[in-house]
Amino acid sequence: MLRFLLERMISLVFVLFAVSIIVFIIMHSVPGGPFDEDKGRLPPEAKANIMRKYGLDKPMYVQYFNYMKHAVRFDFGIPYQQPTTTVAALIKKTWFITMQVGLLTILVAFGLGITLGMLAARHQNTWIDNVVTFGSSLGVTVPNFVVALWLILFFTVARNWLPMGGWSGNNSSCLIGNYFCNDWILPVIAYAVAPMAIIARYTRSSIVNVKRADFVRTAKAKGLSERVVMNKHIFRNAQIPMVTVLGTEIPNLITGSIFIESIFRINGLGKYFVSSVSNRDYPMIMALFLLIAFLWGITYMLTDLAYALIDPRIKVGAKSS
Amino acid sequence: MTSSSAAALPKVKSRSFLQDATRRFFRNRLAIFGLSIVIFFLIIAIFAPLLAPFPYNKAFFDRARLFPFQHPEHPLGTDDLGRDYLSRLIFGARTSLSVALVVQGIALLIGIPLGASAGYFGGIIDFVISRIIDVMTAFPSLLFAILVSSVMSGGFRTVVVALSITSWIGIARLTRAQMLSLREQEYVNAARALGASQWRIIVQHILPNAISPLIIAVTLGIPATIFAEAGLSFLGFGVNDPIASWGKMVGVSSAYVRVYWHMALFPTLAIALTMLGFSFLGDGLQDALDPKQEE
Repeated sequence: MLRFLLERMISLVFVLFAVSIIVFIIMHSVPGGPFDEDKGRLPPEAKANIMRKYGLDKPMYVQYFNYMKHAVRFDFGIPYQQPTTTVAALIKKTWFITMQVGLLTILVAFGLGITLGMLAARHQNTWIDNVVTFGSSLGVTVPNFVVALWLILFFTVARNWLPMGGWSGNNSSCLIGNYFCNDWILPVIAYAVAPMAIIARYTRSSIVNVKRADFVRTAKAKGLSERVVMNKHIFRNAQIPMVTVLGTEIPNLITGSIFIESIFRINGLGKYFVSSVSNRDYPMIMALFLLIAFLWGITYMLTDLAYALIDPRIKVGAKSS
Repeated sequence: MTSSSAAALPKVKSRSFLQDATRRFFRNRLAIFGLSIVIFFLIIAIFAPLLAPFPYNKAFFDRARLFPFQHPEHPLGTDDLGRDYLSRLIFGARTSLSVALVVQGIALLIGIPLGASAGYFGGIIDFVISRIIDVMTAFPSLLFAILVSSVMSGGFRTVVVALSITSWIGIARLTRAQMLSLREQEYVNAARALGASQWRIIVQHILPNAISPLIIAVTLGIPATIFAEAGLSFLGFGVNDPIASWGKMVGVSSAYVRVYWHMALFPTLAIALTMLGFSFLGDGLQDALDPKQEE
């Protein structure tokens, strides 16, 4: 167990190190920089001053080591787009909003997805099953920005029921203070469709597979009720594939969808990523990539640990054949 | 056993694996539906200049943002610069499909050799290639593509490069896994015992058996690439302006969606339909080529 954690940690550090080098090389692989003339004319002395201030006049490898020296102490520098704050503070601010979107999406996607999947599995090969199965292949395929625009076309343009953008914005109505506003509805639905479809599909197929197992037949033969068999025997064993989906979806959902955030004008992490890339905001780009790679690495590790918790037959760190 | 009893046995017509797979494929209605959509869009993409009423870059400056059927020459209306929307959609199919096909082609060209050598040779080669795959997996591929295309000049080649950098990983991982399981098969041992060279074993004996998962992976990789291209163009990191791209049309339309609904509706329908077509086709191929996974 300890060995497993240690191994994973070492490989995570290696991956983060590699990610930082690759991102750094790509960012600096073309001439020019964030303070070029096309962003507004500067006198040469002023430009030289700025370049010196941010250390951009030094050779590449010095810049890299300077950045990493601070990064390991969680100091990611100052964003060029907003020099009055720090990268860490800006990420904290925008991530808070992205987290709200993501957590609500997770609730909706998992709640509805698992319910639909169980419903389809219980009524296997009936019209309910067919509708859920077909609906989930639509939901998995159609991209979220397409779903978002369709929702806007219907609920805002054709019907004017819900606001088109914002997140706790000015012309939204909220339930409690600034929370649970009506401009939260469309982004969360648009964002939740794809993960919900994936979860419904996985839930259905894993329940269908477990349903055929011998221990389920035994449980039924013992005279247990349908509900007890479903909850105690089938559902628990169907959890393993669901944890896999959870592990792959959660890091995506909490780091946000660039598309949802830009269509609905939500000032979250994804929108800042786009503006950082357009403005060549080196410290911000680097910090965002490191953050996402770190989150993915941690979630993979937690997923493996969760397998062992759910199913005692699985041993963490054991070599899979 | 006498010869007369053998003659009495009913005559069974044998079917090859391919015939079997074709039968299974054509019995699947959803797969046929997917195939027809794919063929439809392929024809549109190939014959775009013949089918489109206007060139994709022809702008009528006095006819900007017309609704569908508002002008007899523009059945689907015009965009913000007065370009015929139907023609833009038709040429958009060309951009979308050619990016997707080229990127998947490159994915095969990089992914198969890397995955095959990692799986077959093992040892240090496997270690190095697997670590490269690990690192590349840690990159969110769309964000990475945005970063790469932002430092390049923009245009068709930029989009292809940006999407190819991460597209081969899945193929490489799949090929490696196939190699690992196939190289222990008895017929491979037999070939080795007969003195076949390693190259011959890989190309003649292992790759043909690994081909159906690869076909499925590529068919399902195409909608993913269509999505990625549309997404890049949507955010403004895709192909340069006069070239038509569905994603770019969607991106432009979101500023006008309150009034000019047609600008958002048609390109989103095109993206959704093409992606559905390819994924139904891919699922159908999976069921046809890999009957073991059937439920």
